Amino acid sequence: MFITKKHISRRTILRGAGAALALPFLDAMIPAGSAQSTATKRPLRFVGLFVPHGMAPGWWVPTKEGSGFEYPFCWKPLEPYRDQVVLMTGLHSTSAEPPPGVTGADHWVAAAFLCAEKPKKTAGADVRAGETIDQIIAKKIGRETLLPSMEFAVEDPGANSSNCGEGYSCVYTNTIAWSSPTKPLPMELNPQVVFERMFGDGGSPEERAARRERNLSILDSLGPKIAGLRKEFGPGDRVRLDDYAENIREIERRLEIARNASSVAPENLDVPVGIPQSFDLHIKLQFDLLALAFRADITRVGTLLFARDLTNRTYPESESPRTSFHGGSHHGEDPARIEGFSKINQYHVKMVAYFIDNLRRTNDGDGSLLDHSLVLYGSNMGNPNQHLHYDVPHALIGGANGQLKGDRHLAYPSKTVPTGNLLLSILDFYGIQQESIGDSTGRLEKLV
Amino acid sequence: MNTKRFVVSGAGVLALGLLISQSAVPPQGALMAATPQAAVTASTAAATDAATQRQVLNQFCSGCHGQRAKAAKLDSAVRLTLDDLDLAKVRDHADIWEKVVRKLRAGLMPPTNSRRPDPSTMNSLITWLEGELDRTAVTHLPAPGLHRLNRAEYSNAIRDLLGLEVDAAKFLPPDDSSHGFDNMAGTLTLSPALMEAYLSAAGRISRLALGSETAAKQVVFDVPADTAQNHRVEGLPFGTRGGMLIRYEFPSSGEYTFTVKGVTGYFTRVLGQITGEKLELTIDGERVYLFDWDREIGNTTGFGGTSPKIPIRGGFHTVGVAFLATNDLPGTELNRPFERTMNSPGEIPGYQFYPHVGQVFINGPFTGTPATDTPSRRKIFTCQPQTAQQERDCARAIVSTLAKKAFRRPVRESDLETLMTFYNSGRNEAKSFDGGIQAVVQRILIDPEFLYRSELEPNQAAADSTYRISQLELASRLSFFIWSSIPDDELLNLAAQSRLRDRATLDRQVKRMLADPRAKAFVRNFTGQWLNVRSMEASEPVVDLFPDFDDNLRAAFREEIELFFGSIMQEDRSILELLDADYTFANERLAKHYGIPNIYGPQFRRVTLGPDLDMRRGLLGKGALLTITSQAARTSPVARGKWFLETFLGVSPPDPPPGVETDLSKKNGNAAPLSLRERLEAHRANPVCASCHQIFEPMGIAMENFDAVGRWRTTDEGVRIDPTGVIADGTRLEGIASLRGVTRRYSDQFARVVTERLLTYAMGRGVEDADMPMVRSITRDASKANYRFSSLVMGVVESPGFQMNMKAAAGAPQRAGR
Repeated sequence: MFITKKHISRRTILRGAGAALALPFLDAMIPAGSAQSTATKRPLRFVGLFVPHGMAPGWWVPTKEGSGFEYPFCWKPLEPYRDQVVLMTGLHSTSAEPPPGVTGADHWVAAAFLCAEKPKKTAGADVRAGETIDQIIAKKIGRETLLPSMEFAVEDPGANSSNCGEGYSCVYTNTIAWSSPTKPLPMELNPQVVFERMFGDGGSPEERAARRERNLSILDSLGPKIAGLRKEFGPGDRVRLDDYAENIREIERRLEIARNASSVAPENLDVPVGIPQSFDLHIKLQFDLLALAFRADITRVGTLLFARDLTNRTYPESESPRTSFHGGSHHGEDPARIEGFSKINQYHVKMVAYFIDNLRRTNDGDGSLLDHSLVLYGSNMGNPNQHLHYDVPHALIGGANGQLKGDRHLAYPSKTVPTGNLLLSILDFYGIQQESIGDSTGRLEKLV
Repeated sequence: MNTKRFVVSGAGVLALGLLISQSAVPPQGALMAATPQAAVTASTAAATDAATQRQVLNQFCSGCHGQRAKAAKLDSAVRLTLDDLDLAKVRDHADIWEKVVRKLRAGLMPPTNSRRPDPSTMNSLITWLEGELDRTAVTHLPAPGLHRLNRAEYSNAIRDLLGLEVDAAKFLPPDDSSHGFDNMAGTLTLSPALMEAYLSAAGRISRLALGSETAAKQVVFDVPADTAQNHRVEGLPFGTRGGMLIRYEFPSSGEYTFTVKGVTGYFTRVLGQITGEKLELTIDGERVYLFDWDREIGNTTGFGGTSPKIPIRGGFHTVGVAFLATNDLPGTELNRPFERTMNSPGEIPGYQFYPHVGQVFINGPFTGTPATDTPSRRKIFTCQPQTAQQERDCARAIVSTLAKKAFRRPVRESDLETLMTFYNSGRNEAKSFDGGIQAVVQRILIDPEFLYRSELEPNQAAADSTYRISQLELASRLSFFIWSSIPDDELLNLAAQSRLRDRATLDRQVKRMLADPRAKAFVRNFTGQWLNVRSMEASEPVVDLFPDFDDNLRAAFREEIELFFGSIMQEDRSILELLDADYTFANERLAKHYGIPNIYGPQFRRVTLGPDLDMRRGLLGKGALLTITSQAARTSPVARGKWFLETFLGVSPPDPPPGVETDLSKKNGNAAPLSLRERLEAHRANPVCASCHQIFEPMGIAMENFDAVGRWRTTDEGVRIDPTGVIADGTRLEGIASLRGVTRRYSDQFARVVTERLLTYAMGRGVEDADMPMVRSITRDASKANYRFSSLVMGVVESPGFQMNMKAAAGAPQRAGR
């Protein structure tokens, strides 16, 4: 490898736009041989992926603990990446169980997945869950990026906002990202909106670039104007004007990031108008955008909700094309129906593998994006037929900047280890030392 | 000379000495208090009176608010003692005396079962205290300061500047409120998210205005899930039912598609079992497509059906989506059909529903081309260059017109210089005249002088001195007060010629503004917040208990209040009619709810309230207010009583002390269920609660004949309603009519409360104790005109609070509080 110590400035890349497009952007940006280029200095991305309705009993628990086990059916699509996959079994989602004396809750707890906190039973505006770990992480590592975090959906919540059944607010099934116990973040369904947030609006790369430059020149021209007003204003108004000026500078900074990031937006990325009708197309596009956002360092944290609880969506591209997701989850312990359901589970994991593959193929510093990522995929139901919240499926995928050893199956004794322990340990990977989170009773043993 | 003074009634002394004269500007110093001679005379008289009033206080108040009571650790005395305050120096404790006056004016003191002075003694005490407070008032005119447009103002400003309909609530984050309003200068801060939204809005709005937005986009419109869709929606064709009417600015000419989704339930299944429905898509009333619901929309799990591409000319159009009402009504298996016509998220066995429209998506333009003739373009292009040589001059003319409106002042050469730079670069980039104008519009929309209102301090003036704001600044205050928008040419021109402050001119302008359709913004924003009608949006009565409650009723409630308040404004009636006017406005949905016969169709009309509808008179009978003061499952006499106190008497009871039990749920084991009243009474056994609750609970109890959605009732859960009670002044309440009588008896206090709210809204800063002399002065003047609406508005507009500021002390960035 050539060590040139030649650091290409961001502006240079922009000016030589055509040529620069081919370069892996972040590599070119990092001065060769500098401390920044070592793996540990790459930001550790976090992804939280939630799927409701658990998994088909008998089809997803590996028969052997430790390494080198045979991949069970549901997890099969992740096998090619097994070196960077840790499967966990036996975990207990106590946060998904209704509090004593409260009915319902079984299906209204997607919000509990990343905070391990029981959502408050209400259909009103006084919703309450917990701050989720993606947001805790974003607050730490997302400050310098254009978007502190990105939230994706692939199923339309419609206009529902209040009661989604059993006295639980729809918001608990609509989002898994909460920036505070009372502040749910909406998850974006429309890839076009996501794309514009990342790269600005406009119909073509040229148009986007032109609009960005126009915005920058507008903000630039405000400088003299503000200086002039400042002279006329009294001291109180000056404080408010300074606030305006400060916000202008922040937006300039973001436009600079978007300007540089846009050099990695592949020209062939086809972002359709509106929301694709096919789930397969839709979720892959959302994953492509998230991977792109990581690659361009537009964000370092992402979450995606595979489906809303109770959905009866079917997946025509799966091997069980006519089984509806919620209907199929109530398999009545009938082996044939369980098998049908397992095919939907496997299909979902296949979508995860699509994303993981993208991360592995993308260079990031001295490794791949997957080396510098931690992806959590799981459900807070075990056997969905009875709405059981113990023995829930969870997988951690990615190198976590060298902190996570893959090819492992960690089996925990049933009903003893709450999922909060896993969340607490995930925070450790980010140097966020918390005493506890939600239902945690300690760190997750055997993980590191 | 036509000089307006603030005079204390009775005392006959020049009070604040805040003179607003249009013929001569008094020197800054003269704006402070009364002439020395008048002050001396007044203070001698005051000494005698002080002794008299002290006796009254000793006799009727000191038992609870005196040193001995304090020594005995009586709660009331710990909070407030009056016998150690020097009545010769009322000013020293103006904050306390203002509270005393407020409580006395509201009839809340002395409390229930305590001895009261006779009315004339009481009146003399109040008048004397107010006189002293007004006579010794210190000038208090803090500048509201740099004032950002809120979302409503931004939308309206875009409409008036560019002739474009936009809804800023869809692209700007919500504004914070304080003092009950979202137009308070000190609270309207800026965040990166907002700045980013402003920047992106500037780009999009400028392209929309020019009709040059040709990139395809998807826009979503939601129908609230509890909207009844069995009847025709106003504005949609006759012979249709349900659906939605969308007013939409099509960004440019081209092809668009429309995706319609049904209301879906738990399992993302489209609800509604009745088959054979046809859904009509109309543009400006013309059918452009007919959906076969079952085949195109009903069979999808929430994806909806999409129309073929439809060519549409850029600009403003109304899009209608409605079912053809040719299909049979739902089956007759219902014992009693509910007004609400769909139960999302689930279905009820045995009930049949029509399918309902849930969302409409507009996608496009595909192969868009710039629009050439839209209201917006007609407004912007005051000239059209015929040759390349004419372009520059025409651009300067257009830019000058836009900048004057946007910055609310005559344009300076330096403005033109900056803006023409953008014209040039836009012209060069787009290689078109339009492109140049678009760049200018975009630049203007992010300018601090567009986004903020400012009022400059005179440089030479000393700290704490007062000064009049400029006539141009006054024009902006007026337009943002009454229109929530930028001033029009007439206001700006009068201001530029220094003629706006002239009293007769001002009077004419205010009347013109109130009569203008733009004043609808005042009705919507002021009543929406003063009466909290905005929270109607979030009120969701429990569907099992109130199965008739739907979004149609929610909308009708809101409309009723706006039309009612609007009639007071437009017909220049006394604001006291808000208390007991014998008319209201209703459409079929509302009339059904109120039990008013023979009113059909979705449009509203004036209805006279005869003896059988007596309970609907005035604000106290309005469904919106009765609903927002209730909980989701039941009424709340506590919340209603508190609301009554605040709205009609201007007194806010303190929050309950920490740690007290506020749960009123039935917790008496297997015993017979207690009525809400009985539960409240049990609760009042606690003396800590009782001290406050006995003041306002009887008022809430008197409203108990209205249920949680404002329907009239005589029983609650089988128990007969007992609306009787006694309030602090000894009045025995027998229900809603007698409570309305109370508002009438304290109508002067109500007028003062309205003035306070108006002044807060108009000034963009909170009204404090130090402002009360001004509030009283405005109210007193308006009382001579029987509190006609215009007399209050004129009082506010002519007040020093609206026309003057005080220079902040040097080095102290002191501003009106948040």
